[in-house]
Amino acid sequence: MAAGATTTVERKGRAAVVRIHGDLIVATTKRVYGELRTLGRRRDVRAITLDFSDAGRLDSSGIAVVSLLAKQLERAGKKLELAELAEHHKAALDLMPKQAPEPEGAEKLPGPLEQIGAGVLEAGSGARALGALIAETVRQSIAVVTRRKRLPAGSLAHQVATMGVDGLFIVGLLSFLLGMTMAFQGAVQLQRFGAGVFVADMISVSVVREIAPLMTAIILTGRTGAAIAAELGTMRVRSEVDALTTMGINPVRFLIVPRIAAITIVGPALSLMGMFIGIGGGMLVATIALDMPPVMFWQRITERLTVLDFLHGLGKSLVFAWIIGFAGSHLGLRAGGDAMSVGHATTRTVVVSILFIIIVDAVFATIATFLRYT
Amino acid sequence: MSTPLIECRGVSVGYDHKPVLENVDLTIEQGEIVALLGGSGCGKSTLLRSLTGLLAPLAGELLILGQPLYDLPLDERNQLLRRTGTAFQQDALFGSMSLADNVALPLRELTQLPEAVIAEMVRMRLFMVGLPGQEAKLPTSMSGGQRKRAALARASILDPVVMFCDEPSAGLDPAVAATIDATLLHFRSALGITLVVVTHELESIRTIADRVVMFGRGSIMAGGTVDELMASKDPDVFNFFHRVAEQADEGGALEQLTR
Repeated sequence: MAAGATTTVERKGRAAVVRIHGDLIVATTKRVYGELRTLGRRRDVRAITLDFSDAGRLDSSGIAVVSLLAKQLERAGKKLELAELAEHHKAALDLMPKQAPEPEGAEKLPGPLEQIGAGVLEAGSGARALGALIAETVRQSIAVVTRRKRLPAGSLAHQVATMGVDGLFIVGLLSFLLGMTMAFQGAVQLQRFGAGVFVADMISVSVVREIAPLMTAIILTGRTGAAIAAELGTMRVRSEVDALTTMGINPVRFLIVPRIAAITIVGPALSLMGMFIGIGGGMLVATIALDMPPVMFWQRITERLTVLDFLHGLGKSLVFAWIIGFAGSHLGLRAGGDAMSVGHATTRTVVVSILFIIIVDAVFATIATFLRYT
Repeated sequence: MSTPLIECRGVSVGYDHKPVLENVDLTIEQGEIVALLGGSGCGKSTLLRSLTGLLAPLAGELLILGQPLYDLPLDERNQLLRRTGTAFQQDALFGSMSLADNVALPLRELTQLPEAVIAEMVRMRLFMVGLPGQEAKLPTSMSGGQRKRAALARASILDPVVMFCDEPSAGLDPAVAATIDATLLHFRSALGITLVVVTHELESIRTIADRVVMFGRGSIMAGGTVDELMASKDPDVFNFFHRVAEQADEGGALEQLTR
């Protein structure tokens, strides 16, 4: 194989003859392209002849260079001639489109106002679709509960197992550590006022009403919510959802209801577990580091905590679980046609879920204050 | 010229130490168009994965341009793979990039060509596969046939010595399938690209293939031209071809079932 193309230029008055030596291929075209372009720009050159008598192989990049030179000269009103072409050169140069259309310009990007408008319309249609999804889920759930329709066999158990087992360890660990940390932090402050004994009240109330539901929700968002969005998004992209519809199977009943039902069970259950483990962590610290006997700790808790506190925490958990389930389902089902949209749906699920969880948490706190069951 | 382009000697391919194909001896010379044929699950796609560098064979020697593909250090293996092109059955276009960016990707990543030359090459290649002027389109807004042709454009943009095509015209209407066959023939005549094509379309095999290699019973079952294979007395080969022919003639599997 000849190494690299070189060119020799012969000037005949206002014409130039460029002889190409060697292969005009990817590795060599860059230099040849530069040389030819410079030559084509010169005012004293009116015509160029490319002499292929000593040229070797010509690949696509070589053809592209010839084609570009031809266009450049044509625009400048100059002439290009190809001489001494061998058969294989002719075959290759046949690839040069005679009048291929120039690429159509990329579609015009919308201006800022259009983008805002499109965003609003998108949000509106998204909200409507979410409303429709929730309504359909409720309808199908009622149908399932009243035994008029069935869930896919084993789907609920499967979903509960994957969501729940996944979360058990991490929710337990986090609640335990947070309970411990709060005991340490709180005790120092409370002891300054001689109120060290109230550490039990503080931990039990904050864990049951705030920490456990919130931690569980955040874990569930990251693990389960993202998984729901990714699963459904991938199914959407692979037209599996459309396949269900064409089979006359309601995709909401088949895919969404089991997931929502499972997260309805798993959210409060994990949260309840987190409450007890968190209190356990606090109790451990109180016993070991603060010399507070467990019996005393326990006594304070039973005096302070009421069923209402647990209902408050669990009710919040339930709403959080629905936020996560519906955000994942809704965004997953709305994923577009390509791989990127699945990733987009997954991240949005996490962001949107956490945003709404915090908002709802604030609403719960406000309501509790007004109803005076703090 | 004397080294064959592809040489398999006693190659076994499969997954998890379970061979799907064993003892494959196959030589493909430069400039040939070879069709790989066989029933579903016969292992031809697995062999194709081995030829394209995706799956090391379980046994035997696999040489491309005289070099043992899987025994080369990674850099050299990549160098060798750059001289081959693969058009996947699912087009494998990047959904987030425009058609032009998809086709230009190997040029931008692997060469130092100026942008003007790259744009011109992309324009020419899109013209060649019958998608002129569609540079700005996104894969999601293209039809299946257009995407297959775009995949051919991307696989061939570096002028590979050999192109592997997995079912390039499967599931397309006869007119589009014919243009794809014409494109493949054009690749060979104009660019000298050798083609290894997995396909079931008899019509397409007749049009493009110099030679057919037929897989079955865990290895190569038969080889030769289409006419030679159709005249074969081997019951499995006979069955395969005449079933296919019957279906094509008589309008499909439904009639076979209801007969």
